Amino acid sequence: MLKRLNFPGDMRIREEFNAWLFVLPTALGLLIFQLFPVLFSLYVSFTNWNLITPPKWLGFQNYRDLFTIDPFFVSTLRNTVLYAVGTVSFSLFFAILVALLLNQQLKGKEFFRAVFFLPVVLPTASAALAWTWMYDTNAGIINSFLKLLGLAPIPWLVNTNYALWALIIEAIWASLGFNTIIFLAGLQNISKDYYEAASIDGANAWQKFVNITLPLLSPTTFFVLVTSIINAVQIFDLPFIMTGGGPANATQTIVMYIYSNAFRLQRMGLASAVGYMVFIIILGLTYLNFKFEKKWVFYEEAV
Amino acid sequence: MNKIIDAWIEIQKGKGVTVEVERQYGSWDEYWGKLQTQLAAGTPPDIGIADYGRVVSYARDGVILNIEEQVNLSGFSMDKMMPAALAQYRWKEGDFDSGNPEGDLYGLPADAQPQVMVYNKKMFDEAGVAYPTDDWTWDDMLEAAKKLTKADQSQYGFFLSPGLMWRGIWVNSAGGSFHTPDYKKSTINSAETKEAFQWLWDAIWVHKVSPLPPAPNSQAPNPFLSRQVAMTIDGVWWLTDFANGLEPGEWDTCMFPKHPKTGKRTTTVEADGFWIFKNAKEKDLAFDLLTFFCSEDGQKRFDAEGYLIPGNHADVANAWYAKTPPDNKKKILENINQDSVKVDITYYQAATVMSVVDPIWMAAFYDGGDLGVALEASEAAMNAELDKAWASFTG
Repeated sequence: MLKRLNFPGDMRIREEFNAWLFVLPTALGLLIFQLFPVLFSLYVSFTNWNLITPPKWLGFQNYRDLFTIDPFFVSTLRNTVLYAVGTVSFSLFFAILVALLLNQQLKGKEFFRAVFFLPVVLPTASAALAWTWMYDTNAGIINSFLKLLGLAPIPWLVNTNYALWALIIEAIWASLGFNTIIFLAGLQNISKDYYEAASIDGANAWQKFVNITLPLLSPTTFFVLVTSIINAVQIFDLPFIMTGGGPANATQTIVMYIYSNAFRLQRMGLASAVGYMVFIIILGLTYLNFKFEKKWVFYEEAV
Repeated sequence: MNKIIDAWIEIQKGKGVTVEVERQYGSWDEYWGKLQTQLAAGTPPDIGIADYGRVVSYARDGVILNIEEQVNLSGFSMDKMMPAALAQYRWKEGDFDSGNPEGDLYGLPADAQPQVMVYNKKMFDEAGVAYPTDDWTWDDMLEAAKKLTKADQSQYGFFLSPGLMWRGIWVNSAGGSFHTPDYKKSTINSAETKEAFQWLWDAIWVHKVSPLPPAPNSQAPNPFLSRQVAMTIDGVWWLTDFANGLEPGEWDTCMFPKHPKTGKRTTTVEADGFWIFKNAKEKDLAFDLLTFFCSEDGQKRFDAEGYLIPGNHADVANAWYAKTPPDNKKKILENINQDSVKVDITYYQAATVMSVVDPIWMAAFYDGGDLGVALEASEAAMNAELDKAWASFTG
């Protein structure tokens, strides 16, 4: 049966309508459970709200307070930056090193790949608890080993100068396997032709590494760098389990600060303001990463 | 708890009232997070476990019910309740803290938790040190601790968690305080308060008779329980763990040592309890259950169930403190009756103030840094936080 359409766009409108119908459940979910909370928390960040009494409008006071009278925002930010720099830099370094080693034709390399990947499959909480025990000043295995070597035990989690480093070491151990696998895949994607050509030209191992491996690995490095920075800035579970942000707030990170303000002190407004500051920081760092990408990331098609 | 509630339901049946009680449980941290969410949603339970640290804010915000009139009309007797425990549930509108005798009741205490001092008799015997006496002073305690500390650090003289400083035992005994009586200014850097902090700091870093404070989320057992220290001061809630973990006769309690100058040995009393939420639909039933929990009958039932914190009802507490181990458990009650005060962490936004001030002075305990500088900085921070708390209270 034929039916004359009223105007040429009728079919397209009907198709669009059907498409929206299919997308509606997911769109509603995103709207209610993601967009609404994001916008609501933006509103809350301009208020003083303890969940019990109605929110009281403060304007930008929460944001101003963060950089003026808040006693811990700046130090918490510093902790987070130190943690991120320490974790990301050493993670990248060791992951590339291990990937290079595992990329060699060695006996048992599959075994070593599995060993390095093991921390990735361990639940974060279990690993964090195990490391808490390992770091114990009196009974921990690390200090027992140091005592065997005739060295003084280190007050890992009870000294404000060491505690953050204790977390960084654990984080490097936990992320090494995953980053290694990513770099390994990147290394195996580099065509052997380049190395053969370099060998013919008389290049040594270091020259090959600097002029071939590093540049052609840069897209992988860029990916690992961006994701590692984002993960490091958002860190919560590790300090929450291992130190609770202590000793004396030495390991309090920015997301822990949000949690503490929101759920321990019921300062929802301040917590939301900190949350938006974290968003701006991560956005800024990611923007900088992408802006400077062209200067040091080489894609093979462009070579 | 279930058995107590079931017993109350049976009592109601006897009166011809059929009641169903929906029970919701959670760990301490989970409980408060969930309760906040329920309050925000307007769906709190009718009756809940009360926290002395939240009485002022909840009463001020109109979350919990003023039960003063109901208590008076019902004739519920509070004569035998521990005054320091009851004080924590009295609040006079406009007051920054609970405890005003003219204040109204916003809940009832179900227990009275003091701090206790315990010592390991076996370690004292091995070191040839006489047991603590009622006349012991801080100096005697320090001398004993020096003899009880081993050179290889496998055993220390005593342990007092710096986190317990806010419970004020050491500070109060030295004649110090954390703030002025009007709560407007910090006194954490006053001479007397500083003396108390310094004594404990010296024990760790000068005399080395006390171990470093534990790591914040340490999974290691209590140092007294793991036989790393010969003496400790901690909450009464530890006594059951000590009884289960140590040998019979291996340990005992004693009164706190007296301050050498003031002669005081102040313990602090904190009291968890129960309160009724304003949204409760069945307020009369909730009140009946509340008073049942806190009555002599209810307290005896809690005690029979092995509820480890002694009730605040004098007869129940006397019976609890008479039971051994340890042999001299009555000394704890003697200390309370001789010299005790309401714990000083009940004022408006006390938790927030402490969360800011604690890390500052505790860094000196963890790192061995200059305590004087740390207390100066703590005083400044506390003054700023008290100003903010007052602005919020009056705003």
